[in-house]
Order: sequence, then structure tokens, then C-alpha cells
Amino acid sequence: MENEAQRSAATGVDRWLADRITGVWNLLTGRPVSLYAASVLRIGYGLLYLIFLLREFSHRDEIWGPGSAWTPALAHQLSEQTGWFSVLILSDSRAYFELCYALALVTAALFTLGWRTRVLSVLFAVMVTSFHGRAIFMTDGGDNLVLLMSLYLVLTACGRRWSLDARRNRLKAARTGSAPERVGSSFARQLRDARTTLVTVVHNCGMFVIAAQVCFLYGSAGLYKVQGAFWGGGTALHYVLNLELFRPWPALSAFVDEHTLVVAVAGYLTVLLQVAFPFVLFGRLKYPVLAMLMGMHIGIAVLMGLPLFSGAMIVADAVFLPDRCYTFLPRLRRRVVQRTGSGRPAPGAAARPGAVPAQGGPGGAYGSKDRVVLTAGRQSRSRNRASGGSSGG
Amino acid sequence: MSSGIDSADVQEVQHSESGPVVQERPDATAAPPKLPRGSRALKCGLCATVVLCLMASLVHVLLVFLHVAPANTVSRRYSPLINSWVYPFFEQNWRLFAPDPESVNRQILARTAHTSSDGSVQVSPWFDLTAVDRSAVAHDPFPSHTAQNMLRRAWAGYVDSHGGDDNARTERALMMQKYLSNIAADRAAARENGPFDFIQLRVVALSIPAPGPAAGNRPPTPAENRLLPWWKVTRYGK
Repeated sequence: MENEAQRSAATGVDRWLADRITGVWNLLTGRPVSLYAASVLRIGYGLLYLIFLLREFSHRDEIWGPGSAWTPALAHQLSEQTGWFSVLILSDSRAYFELCYALALVTAALFTLGWRTRVLSVLFAVMVTSFHGRAIFMTDGGDNLVLLMSLYLVLTACGRRWSLDARRNRLKAARTGSAPERVGSSFARQLRDARTTLVTVVHNCGMFVIAAQVCFLYGSAGLYKVQGAFWGGGTALHYVLNLELFRPWPALSAFVDEHTLVVAVAGYLTVLLQVAFPFVLFGRLKYPVLAMLMGMHIGIAVLMGLPLFSGAMIVADAVFLPDRCYTFLPRLRRRVVQRTGSGRPAPGAAARPGAVPAQGGPGGAYGSKDRVVLTAGRQSRSRNRASGGSSGG
Repeated sequence: MSSGIDSADVQEVQHSESGPVVQERPDATAAPPKLPRGSRALKCGLCATVVLCLMASLVHVLLVFLHVAPANTVSRRYSPLINSWVYPFFEQNWRLFAPDPESVNRQILARTAHTSSDGSVQVSPWFDLTAVDRSAVAHDPFPSHTAQNMLRRAWAGYVDSHGGDDNARTERALMMQKYLSNIAADRAAARENGPFDFIQLRVVALSIPAPGPAAGNRPPTPAENRLLPWWKVTRYGK
């Protein structure tokens, strides 16, 4: 009897383990996760770096060029010590630097647009690494985050959505229509499949690393703050608001500083949000937390004059929004367009069979559409639960 | 729950089916010898690569965690491994205004000296280098890194590498001293007309008064007043 029980327990554990392994395997190799979020990261960081480069146009020589206070000689010396690679230290000539700067602008723009994304993502990473390393003693947390993300984005398939690549593929598919795929030998097909699986796996691992990186960022930022007496005493933000270099609007900072209660509550909320961040990601609570973090970052951007830092953080938060949030956005826009333009039906809309009844009455159309969205949401939720159960049981 | 049992059953069936296949395999490989071996190698290679990718991601995340976390027994023991992986590209520090935000505003002042041909030395009055940054940041929604980070981080780097005294004992300390002196000299040259051969810095840290009504009574006390030695400047000597 005991033997029997032990054996059945052992097979239970075996089965559970096998299930777990298959689950992880399927998650890893099944399909690339969060393609929209990856594209948002690409667009976000590409655009941020482009804006940063343009913002510093008049200071470009002072920051990265041969005329900077961190002279080419010092940069060479540091690069030998740390092993940092930067294309900017390959030559000390001003013309070479200007060429690099122009190429950096082009790289950032093309990366944002998603043109030949995989190649451009490598170039973007090299470019960000080079510019970061050349002026490493002028960087802050925002630059550091952009650098890390540019390195991680090389792993991801960040050009599959909202990109010129996606547009080109769509047009190509429309042109060839339903023509049969070119048939090679079965081994060639297997090779292609293997490549697809590999790309998927590397993408999924990249997204996992990005998510973990953002969690570490918030977790450590929060936990280090917990150790500080000012954060515990609720006065930390008073000191932050009085730092002269982070006070572009002195009157506004002084106004906020006068409200001691607001300063204390906001300080506590900052610490709580940051510490809680890694733990709320797996539930519905993440949406209000992400919204509050976004509010916090917008506050930092305006009050402290750190739009680049805040932008980098907001883009990093976007990695935790599921694909259905991003696909919902264009649908919402289309619905708004439809509702505002319901007086004059679009010529294309009449051709679609589903669009006509939706425009019948404002109330009915609204209700029926909402129901559709709701059931879709419920289905996906129940599907999630089922998969969770299978891996747990 | 039910789906989990289903999938497990399916797996078991597949497993039991694989039994006889193994026995038949010699025949199967004998007929077309090339194709299955190639595809089997491909499959194995793919599996290995997938496992490798997963392991690499997990190891990376673990090492970054140990790098970010406060120094502990694990990170101290494996510090060579962690440092060799994390530095230079994955270095990071998220102590943003933590454990405590700075409670002082630093003012970095400079003055220059010029030795004229007859041997007399002219020393300029002190001028505020930080004031340039302050006025650049004021009313700018997107301040430049040159205003917010350049001098601030150069001074932080100088203090990191020097500590309390001003003798550069390491290579890094010498580099930071050169950097700080270059920044100061550039700003002095942009401001003054005449040439100069030496520059001296003074750093005054004014503490931010604690919040509350009591703060108004006390004047802001300089928490630090540090006079640095004269440094030779070659760029603007003439």
C-alpha cells in the first residue's frame, strides 16, 4: 500500500514536472510574445535617442566631439582601462565626428521607422554604446536605461508591428496573394522551421530579460529608498524639489514644496509603487500601478526637467502591457472616427456587411459593440486560467 | 484542471507509442540514410540552442540581480564572475535619490592666474561656474546634459576618486582631475578675455534648510567649503 502510494506520488511529480517542462517549452518556442510591446520599445527608444541627439545638436562637440572636456586622450585611456568599445574614439578628427553624428541621426530615425529592423537594431546598439561610452561621465539613469534596452532590443523581433518592414511584408503578401509557398526539400523546410523557432526563442528570452531588468530597476530603486531617513520621514521630495539643477520652474517647485502633506504622501507613494512593482505585474492591479507610475514620471519630467529620463522609464513600463491593449488602441480610434463621422457614412464602410447595422442607432450600436469586446475579454481570461490550471495541476 | 490531465494523457500515449518506433528505427535509417540523420541532428541542435538561450538569459538576469542588489555574501564571493560579466556594458545603478536625496546645493567657483612676461602674477576674482548651469536650466523644459550632468558628475567623479584630500593617488584620480580642470578652464575662457596658465576651484555646499517654519530663522549654513590647489592649464596659456 505504502509502496503504491509512493509510486503514484512519484508519477504525479513526474507528470507535473513533464507538464511544466512542456509548458515552458511551448511558451518559449510557440510564438513570439508581446510583439506590439517590442515595437513600442523600438519606436520609443529610437525616437527618444533621436530627440536627444537633436536636442544636443549645439552641444554635440562639447559632449561627444574632439573638443570636449573629456578629451580624446582621456577617452582612449578610459577605454583601455574598461574595455568599452566606441566608434567615436577611432579618430580624433572633427570631420569624422560630424560624419558619425549624422549617421547616428539616420540610424535612430530608420530604427524608429522599422526599416530592415534587425540590421538597424544592431547599428542602433553600436551607436548608443559609442555615444554613451564617449561621454560616460555626463550620463544619468535615463541614458543608462536606453543603453541597456538598445542592447536587449537586438535580440527581439521588434520590427514585426507598426514598422516599414511590416508594411512591406503586408504589401508583398497582398501582391503574391494565395500563391503556394516555394517548395524545397523537406530538409530545407525543416531548416526554415528551425530558423523560425530560433528567432522566436531568442525574442522571447530577450523580452524576459527586458521585463526582469525593469523589475530590478524599480525594485532596487524602491528598496534603496526604504533605507533612507528622508524617505521614511516624508521629507525626501522637499530636498529633491530644492535641488537647483533640477528645478527648471522654481515657482512651480516652491508651490509644490509648500504643501507638506502632498510632498509626504507623494514620497511614500513613490517608494511603495517602486517596491510593489515587481509583485503586481501578474495581476490586474498592474494597470492602476502602471498608470500611477506614468503620472509620477510625467511629474518628474516637468518638475525636475528630466524629460529624457522620464520618457525612457515610461517606454520601459510599456513592455508590461499585453498585445490586446495595443490592438485595442487602433480599434478605439476607428470607433471614435466612426462615431464622430456617423452622419456621413464612409464609402468603404457601406461595403462591409458588419458595419451597416452598427450605425443604426447610437445607443444600440454602442451597446452591441461593448458586448463584443467584453466577451472577447472574458474568453481570453478563461483561456489564461485554463492554461494556468494545466501547468499547476 | 481537466485540460492538464488531458494533455498529460496525450503525452503518455505519445510516450508509449515511441516504444515500438525505437525498435523499428534501424530499418528506417537504413532505407534513406541521409535525411533523418540530418534532421535529427538539426532537432538536437535546436533543442540544445533553445536550452542554451534559456540558460544564458537566466544567468544574465541572476548576475545583473547580484550586481544591482546590495553587497551580500553571495555577491562578495562571486564578485570576479559578476564583474567580468556585467562590466562594462551592463553596469547599472538605480540608487535614484536613494538612500537619501542630496540635502545640499553645490556651488563650484573658479579663479584663474596668469604669469605675465615680467614675472608678475595676476589673479582673477572668483566666479561661479555652477551659475552658468543654473541659468541654463531655468525655464528650459528640456535642459541639456551639459548643464545638468557635466559639472555635477565631474565633481562627483573627482570626490569618488580622491576622497577628502586633493592628491591624485590613482590613474583614475588623475583623469578626473584633468577632466574637472578642463571643464573649468573652458568655462573660464568663455568668460574671460585674457590668457591664463593656472586655475583654482573652490566648492561651497549650502545645505537645503529642513522643511517647516523653523527653517526661516536659520540662515543656510555652508556644509562644506573646500579649496582645491592651483592646477596648471596648458590650453589657454598663449
